[in-house]
Amino acid sequence: MIEIQTDPLLYRVQKPEVRERFEALKQRPVVLSVQNLYKTFESQTGTVTALKDVSFDVYRREFMCVIGPSGCGKSTLIRILAGLESSSDGKVLLDGNPVTGPGPDRGMVFQSYTLFPWLTVKQNVMFGPRMSGKRGTSAESEARQWIDLVGLSKFENSYPHQLSGGMKQRVAIARALANRPRILLMDEPFGALDAQTRCQMQSYLLQIWRNLDITILFITHDLDEAAFLADRILVLKANPGEVNEIIEVPVPRPRSAAQFITPEFIATKYRIDQLIHPDQGSPEDALPFPRMTPQGDDVE
Amino acid sequence: MLTMFSFSLPLLAWCAVSYLPFLWHPDVELQISADREGVTTVYTPGDRVSEEFFPEFEAAVRTQNEEVSPFMSLDKPVEAGSESSVRRSNKKVLRHLAPLLVSNGWLTEEQTKDDAAIYVAWKEIATGARLPEQPALTEENLEIVRKNWALMSRYSDSYNADNFVSRPLLSLVPQGRPANPDYLPAPHRVLISGFKEFTKPAEAERPSMWQRVGHSMRIVFGGFLLAALVGVPIGVICGTYSFFSKLIEPFTDFFRYMPAPTFSTLLVVIFLANDAPKMALVFIGTIFQLILVVANTTRRLELPLLEAAQTLGANQAQLLTRVVIPGILPNLYNDLRILLGWAWTWLVIAELVGVKSGLTEFIETQGRWRNFDSVYPVIILIGLIGFFTDQILSFIRGFIFPWTSEGPAITSTPVAKVLLFVPRWFKSAVDERIPYQPESTSPNKA
Repeated sequence: MIEIQTDPLLYRVQKPEVRERFEALKQRPVVLSVQNLYKTFESQTGTVTALKDVSFDVYRREFMCVIGPSGCGKSTLIRILAGLESSSDGKVLLDGNPVTGPGPDRGMVFQSYTLFPWLTVKQNVMFGPRMSGKRGTSAESEARQWIDLVGLSKFENSYPHQLSGGMKQRVAIARALANRPRILLMDEPFGALDAQTRCQMQSYLLQIWRNLDITILFITHDLDEAAFLADRILVLKANPGEVNEIIEVPVPRPRSAAQFITPEFIATKYRIDQLIHPDQGSPEDALPFPRMTPQGDDVE
Repeated sequence: MLTMFSFSLPLLAWCAVSYLPFLWHPDVELQISADREGVTTVYTPGDRVSEEFFPEFEAAVRTQNEEVSPFMSLDKPVEAGSESSVRRSNKKVLRHLAPLLVSNGWLTEEQTKDDAAIYVAWKEIATGARLPEQPALTEENLEIVRKNWALMSRYSDSYNADNFVSRPLLSLVPQGRPANPDYLPAPHRVLISGFKEFTKPAEAERPSMWQRVGHSMRIVFGGFLLAALVGVPIGVICGTYSFFSKLIEPFTDFFRYMPAPTFSTLLVVIFLANDAPKMALVFIGTIFQLILVVANTTRRLELPLLEAAQTLGANQAQLLTRVVIPGILPNLYNDLRILLGWAWTWLVIAELVGVKSGLTEFIETQGRWRNFDSVYPVIILIGLIGFFTDQILSFIRGFIFPWTSEGPAITSTPVAKVLLFVPRWFKSAVDERIPYQPESTSPNKA
């Protein structure tokens, strides 16, 4: 029997510098404000409440992750924020202005690959600026810089089908950033990638985020990913989707894979796990003791 | 490799059935025929009779000969006054040998009614001076020739119309070789007739085969292009906006079940009798299918692409022109390829509308005369035109849509490299004129 040694409340015992960091964060202007958001669906079995009274703020240059058990409505939430779905009640404010539909001020990176297959990497990145009427060599050289930023300069004239999954998502990030959005919404963007590529992409994303004035709201179901990337983690409850807790991640920045074994990191993960699976005791209890029985012989 | 087989197997089967006498060959092609007393159906050499009927035919002629043979003896008196009718039927017997002599090369096609020349041939065969070989006469028929000649030579050694045999001659027993029915001509005959038909120059009332091909293609492509021109925009709009889908598609769906040929008389009344009603038939036969297929293709465009475009700031018009249309183009291209094949199937019916025209008119006429060896080349040609159009279109697809990942990159084949050299060189020359100017400030600092 393995005892989990970590104090489950360790993440709350904030060192002064951690407390200072989050106080400073909350002094920054609010970029995205979600107030009393409700979302209900009509289904054959009756009304389903997907989101119930969800409220939170995202501050400028913050990296916020949203995590929750499956079916907690995290995808619905981000689609409402992007303007792809409407809410049943409540407000979404971007810089104080209500969100009414999809727009270039909120960049979105989807889990599925959504690069336009008929456009080259460069043309994909230029798609947003083109929609707002930007053309010519300056738009093109700007697009080159975004491609450079995600490290794909060699591939600017390639078509999406020639790229790997990770490269496609990097282009998708560059494409979303090219519109200079106020906030970048990411809906499990690395969910379809293999574990190693995912780790690389997380580091890439942190690097990009550190060098730009960009706020990120990132949806994930991966505890490691959330604890590694986020300043704060919004944990949702399922049925209905409600805010469970907003965890302030004490792991210092800049982050690296070496921090995976620090007590802060483990404590954060443990806390998320507790919130997502509240009734689950030690994982060992759920399993019956394995009986090492040779064929047919009954060994006591 | 298998593709080669797929084409050569049917060809081999056709050759085998045609050239191996023990395969199938249910009919007998007559080389020597004979009239039968009191039977009106007359077979001439080249005709095909069924295997079952042929022995019956032979037997009938033999019985007839048995009845005749007593009268061959000069002692037996012949009924007075019947001489002229006996002479007439004897002349027929004389000429029964003619087709065989032609195929042996003894006579030319024009000489089949040259009784004097045929008379000489009878003499030569009877005396054994010369014997036909391709095809040969059966022993039975040789015997008949000798018996007849014995009688004929008593009257005259050379042909003399006034002093021709007035006693009945024996008829030649029908002779033939196994053959396939005339609806399955052998490959070489189809090739020869095809070559003849395709090299015949145009005449006043008879267009050349290539003019016919052009005419038929004009009807198919004309009708199809019109249908595409009208149908594609409607289809795309139906596939994009559910309002138009609900408004247009149910009626289209109903209309496509009404067979296009049923409108043919109506079309002739509206468009009069030229190419217009024919193209209109292809148009009607294609467009309803086309609208539904295009609408469906448009609906199959991945929704996330549209959502992504919306989050990038595309408005409704831009969604249609920048995402929907470029996104469906490769599938649309494939749809149109399939529908072009569909349009070809309307060709024959369309060309029968009003005044018959084009390849169909040829097939119709030749088919009525049972000249199937001329019909097959045309049918095969229609197939080849359709097949190669499709192959070419599918080859071009790789050039038009280099971003589709189907199959190996077509632009890397040697042919494509040669073809693409000039445009590529031009593009790189243009690219060099627009130098890349990096800006020192970060794009996000604006």
